[in-house]
Amino acid sequence: MDEKEFDQMLDKYADVIVNIGLGLKKDQVLFINGILEDAPFARAVAKSAYKTGAKYVDMMLTDEASARISYEYVNPEHITYHPEWVFNRYEECFKNGDAFLSIASTNPDLLEGIDSDLVSKRRKSSMEKFFPIRTKYDNNFNWCIAATATPLWAQKVFSGVPVQEAQTKLWDAIFKVCRVDQPDPVAAWTEHTDRLIKIKSYLNDKKYASLHYKAPGTDLTIGLPESHRWNAAKETYKNGTTGTPNIPTEEVFTSPHKDKVEGHVSSTMPLNLSGRLVEDFVVTFENGKVVNVTAKKGEDDIRKLIEMDEGASSLGEAALVTDSSLIKQSGILFYNTLFDENASCHLAFGDAFKDCFEGGYDLTDEEFRAAGGNKSIIHTDFMIGSAEMDIDGITADGTHEPLMRQGEWAFDV
Amino acid sequence: MTSNNQHQELLQKYAEAIVRVGLNLREGQRLIITNATARGVPPAGRALVHAVTKAAYAAGAKYVETIWGDEEMHRIRLQNAPADSFDEYPKFHVDAIMDNIKNGDALLSIYANDPDAFAGLDADRVGAMQKTHLQNYAPIGVEVGRNAINWCVVASGSPAWAAKIFPDLEPEEAEEKLWQAIFETTRATESDPVAAWMEHIQNMTKRGKYMQAKKYSALHYKAPGTDLTLGLPKGHRWISARMPAENGVEFTANMPTEEIFTLPDRHRADGTVAATFPLSYGGSLIDDFSVTFENGQIVKVNAKKNEAILQKLVDTDDGSKRLGEVALVPASSPIAKRGHLFYNTLFDENASCHIAIGRAYRFTLAGGEELDDEEFNAAGGNVSLNHVDFMIGSPQMDIDGITEDGTLEPVMRQGEWAFDV
Repeated sequence: MDEKEFDQMLDKYADVIVNIGLGLKKDQVLFINGILEDAPFARAVAKSAYKTGAKYVDMMLTDEASARISYEYVNPEHITYHPEWVFNRYEECFKNGDAFLSIASTNPDLLEGIDSDLVSKRRKSSMEKFFPIRTKYDNNFNWCIAATATPLWAQKVFSGVPVQEAQTKLWDAIFKVCRVDQPDPVAAWTEHTDRLIKIKSYLNDKKYASLHYKAPGTDLTIGLPESHRWNAAKETYKNGTTGTPNIPTEEVFTSPHKDKVEGHVSSTMPLNLSGRLVEDFVVTFENGKVVNVTAKKGEDDIRKLIEMDEGASSLGEAALVTDSSLIKQSGILFYNTLFDENASCHLAFGDAFKDCFEGGYDLTDEEFRAAGGNKSIIHTDFMIGSAEMDIDGITADGTHEPLMRQGEWAFDV
Repeated sequence: MTSNNQHQELLQKYAEAIVRVGLNLREGQRLIITNATARGVPPAGRALVHAVTKAAYAAGAKYVETIWGDEEMHRIRLQNAPADSFDEYPKFHVDAIMDNIKNGDALLSIYANDPDAFAGLDADRVGAMQKTHLQNYAPIGVEVGRNAINWCVVASGSPAWAAKIFPDLEPEEAEEKLWQAIFETTRATESDPVAAWMEHIQNMTKRGKYMQAKKYSALHYKAPGTDLTLGLPKGHRWISARMPAENGVEFTANMPTEEIFTLPDRHRADGTVAATFPLSYGGSLIDDFSVTFENGQIVKVNAKKNEAILQKLVDTDDGSKRLGEVALVPASSPIAKRGHLFYNTLFDENASCHIAIGRAYRFTLAGGEELDDEEFNAAGGNVSLNHVDFMIGSPQMDIDGITEDGTLEPVMRQGEWAFDV
């Protein structure tokens, strides 16, 4: 691909993000955040957004290298200090019902070698400030997460490959799994989301009482709340927009009952905790709570993660993804949740989504908990799916029905 | 070509001079790094931000935060946004800086811009965006103008800026040459930059004291295309390389700095002055221009290039029709000696005598910090959203000081100081 062809692909990707992802409407303000390396793509998004009629596109960039310097040099007693203005900018966007694009292209090894105590203290203090804002304006604004092939991330994904070549390969992969390489990406997305929505409806009609997961190293039963709802591919927001908040997306997901998870589950992919990797971990649950966790790498990090608050050691999401998803078929481990979660069935520690419950947005926190919804300042996905995974849906009367066999749907829609 | 290691070493020495001399950062202070024009440091400033961040932590900074800005994004907006876009202004970066100022923290501005960022764009749209920005940014100008905190303006090399200065060189070579110019004019190439700065500051302070003792009532400028008399208000203060901030920290606001400066009387400017350098304003280049004054007010502007933008600048508000700064720089200054334009005020103003359209700094008038806008105006101080320097000096310029009783005394002859200190 020469430079011109690449720019054309970047523009097509931007159009997918603006029109499918954000569902941007005329006269909206769009707020983009990302790292410095994301700027060229953010500019392409801005052009696309203005073409769609955006009133104003604003961007707030951060610098990963500066973030690491802070960890290395700041007096540890100030590690939990965060400038207010960063949060104020998010709040302005969420409160106004503006469109929000988060570009997530983190270097998976950014914080390698930094003391895990500092990392978790800083992460916690940041989430404690961000989470209440995010929750307060839940569903108030249309949002989307996208990613760009930044050099350090690309080199992690394609280790040993020269940086430029690695970036090209990662871009190719992003374009492919985001359906940007298709002749008509918008039509391809419509077809894809229609199918995911059919599967979602099938599962909603079933009203399963629980799910049972079986795979090497995994034997887990997840109870579902009575009022659970399955979601996929499309969200409608209070500001009147409809979008697809993750590009790519291959998942159909709901909320587990926070107190009804039993058994053990093994990770099938590394987990990128904003710049630190946790690998090969096994988590055991009793009455919905993690009672044991072991990991070959980053055990300390994952322990600290689930100790963030009361809800961090319970589950907030159960998502189903087939082994034949575009992401899995790419054969690439992305070290980035946006992609990896769409390669594999996954669960999430922490906060549950309100729209995974009937009338969820109208529930108070207390009612939400009573319905089985989990509350936490974290929401961290981890991957458990594989071609060896079988999942059954268990109905209220105890009947087992096959949902997935060897990582693929076991029913037709 | 200098090696990468040499460059890194110079960058670190430069950063240390910025932190220890420019900002004179105190232990426990926060430092916020930004850039007013791009509303954040352009990505090209990244290496200097890293070096300064490390030096600031080494000096005991509590926390260093950088606001990043992207001129290309502003350009895309100017080209594509609907007309009603330009009233939009996210206030977060103004709030960020104001929060630091109120807390007595330090502020660093890093230039790493493209002097032609908005070249060729519609002047009305550029003006509309600029005006909203200036209106929102005004509170910061007020605080900085009274030296509420220790602040400093410096520059980083940037590819676009280097290409503008050295259009005939290969990009890498141009950037290398620009960095070399920055390092040399900011004394980073000295074996002990901090000591070299302290000596320079001492020399500049002596010049300032001499001018202060004279209490001239006016200055008269004579050069090709220039015949201008500028009144100096009672209580004017000559300032040079070192100032005390209200938070108690002595600092050096510009690196490099070769100027001694004060405020002119906003009511007393008469005659015509010809610019000797192009003016880079809000991403456009105004070239080959002159300005005519009557009773302190600009009555006419003339420019061979971008006269409309110059006129827009002058029409921003009442204060933009008057002057707020007068600065003396010898024509032999290290920046002038380099023999090329920088297309950037921080450098070009230190190559040449200059004056500024717009706001006067409160600290250039005795007791100015205590006056409200009206009182400041009455005392001869100018109030405006703008403060835009333009260059008028050259080796052909003579300047006389006019005493209270009308005696003329030589201050500069052929661009050089005409007195010893």
